[in-house]
Amino acid sequence: MKSLKSIFSFVIPLTAMLITFAIFLFTTKVVDDYKLKISNDYSIVVVANTPLVKDNINELSGIKVQKIVTLEKNKIINNIKDKLSDKSVELLKQRLPYFYKIHLEQYPTSSQLKNAKNELLEIKNIKKVEIFSKNHNQIFLLLLIIQKIIAVVFAIILIYAVIIIAKQIKIWFYEHHEAITIMQFHGASILYSASSVIKHAVFGALISFGIVAALIVLLNNNLELVFPPELQSVVGIKLLVKEELVKIFLLSLFISISTIFGVLFKHKMKNA
Amino acid sequence: MITAKEIYLSYDKNRFIIKKGSFHIRDKEFIFIGGNSGSGKSTLIKSLYGDIGLKHGELFVDGVNMKNISAANLRKIRRDIGIIFQDYKLINDLTIEENIMLPLKINGYSNEISKKQALNLLSHVKLSHRKGYRPNELSGGEQQRVAVARALAHNPKIIIADEPTGNLDDFSAEVVWNLLKGANEQLGITVVVVTHRVPKNFGIRFRQLSIDDGIIYEVS
Repeated sequence: MKSLKSIFSFVIPLTAMLITFAIFLFTTKVVDDYKLKISNDYSIVVVANTPLVKDNINELSGIKVQKIVTLEKNKIINNIKDKLSDKSVELLKQRLPYFYKIHLEQYPTSSQLKNAKNELLEIKNIKKVEIFSKNHNQIFLLLLIIQKIIAVVFAIILIYAVIIIAKQIKIWFYEHHEAITIMQFHGASILYSASSVIKHAVFGALISFGIVAALIVLLNNNLELVFPPELQSVVGIKLLVKEELVKIFLLSLFISISTIFGVLFKHKMKNA
Repeated sequence: MITAKEIYLSYDKNRFIIKKGSFHIRDKEFIFIGGNSGSGKSTLIKSLYGDIGLKHGELFVDGVNMKNISAANLRKIRRDIGIIFQDYKLINDLTIEENIMLPLKINGYSNEISKKQALNLLSHVKLSHRKGYRPNELSGGEQQRVAVARALAHNPKIIIADEPTGNLDDFSAEVVWNLLKGANEQLGITVVVVTHRVPKNFGIRFRQLSIDDGIIYEVS
């Protein structure tokens, strides 16, 4: 009964932390997928006096350039040549600058876009840069805000979980002080003396992982119940169950074991 | 086995419990340490298993200097010592069988060997029928018999006992003395016992030290 109580004192904070971590992983995945989806439709238009050396522009604001597409002058002239004389068309061909569309590998944030524009304007022959910042995607910004909020919530819950687990271990040490002293009188190391609380922490981590894993699998099998199809068509909600479970399992073990060893180290230093 | 050279022991800076204590205990000896209440008997034997540090002097236990001993060396020394406390110091979360297995497991013996040895000792202390009991379900005499069995379990080089029969009925006291005598005579374990009263007609050779106002004397 005492052991069960001790194990559950680890399970509750760990489960809360792992659920938040799972939500954080999920929103990160949604944001990344959405970023990829909209980055294919987005490009920066550049107007240059002379032809651009494409190899010189590999990266903009830290984002790799996927491709630079030259916009054919003839296409632009063809649209208006019916209204112009042949001489004017020839003149226009000579005077018209060069147009390019720059596609990036990732969808940039507003600040990244501004930086990209500045970097492009520093190139001598570039006359104008259009980043279409007003059309910058509102859903993307909203997703980014949600992702950041969840990251902050996760960090707070992580800190609380570590504090609660550390307190539980300290309580365990207090409750078992006499037993620990007796074991140490017989030559036991602190690790041996605390072996039962280490076992409880590991069991707690496994139980927490089991609970969160079951929730993720359940959610994955019933995505349409939680997220309506309309939303799914916009942001493309998918879970990478195996990858997420591995990360959650590792975090669960890491937090419980590192916390207990931290407390043990402190205890050892205090009693040295 | 144990050599003290002008040792000083204290819990605070101002008052020494043991002053300039010197003695030598040979291998396989049976030693009684006597003295009035508060004379420093318990403090002295606490220093033998490193529960209290030396202020001055030198104390060698099984060849190891106890002054500024490292944690690792202290653990090593303690694994060769069996300690019997006046208040038994059994772990109530464990059964009496598991309590006896404890020093064996700390010394790295397998579960199977530890269990076999614990059962053997439980029959020696006449408590086989209570192996699944917790210490708090036993009488004081029974608990002390378990504590003696625990001290003997790993066949230590030294047994240190602090008033082992102080709270016991005659039957339990006799069982405890017989076990300690057997450990010394048959197994060759050095035994150091703190007691108010040395039992009459003890039956084996022993030496007696006494402490008076922090000074250690050789009595016989």
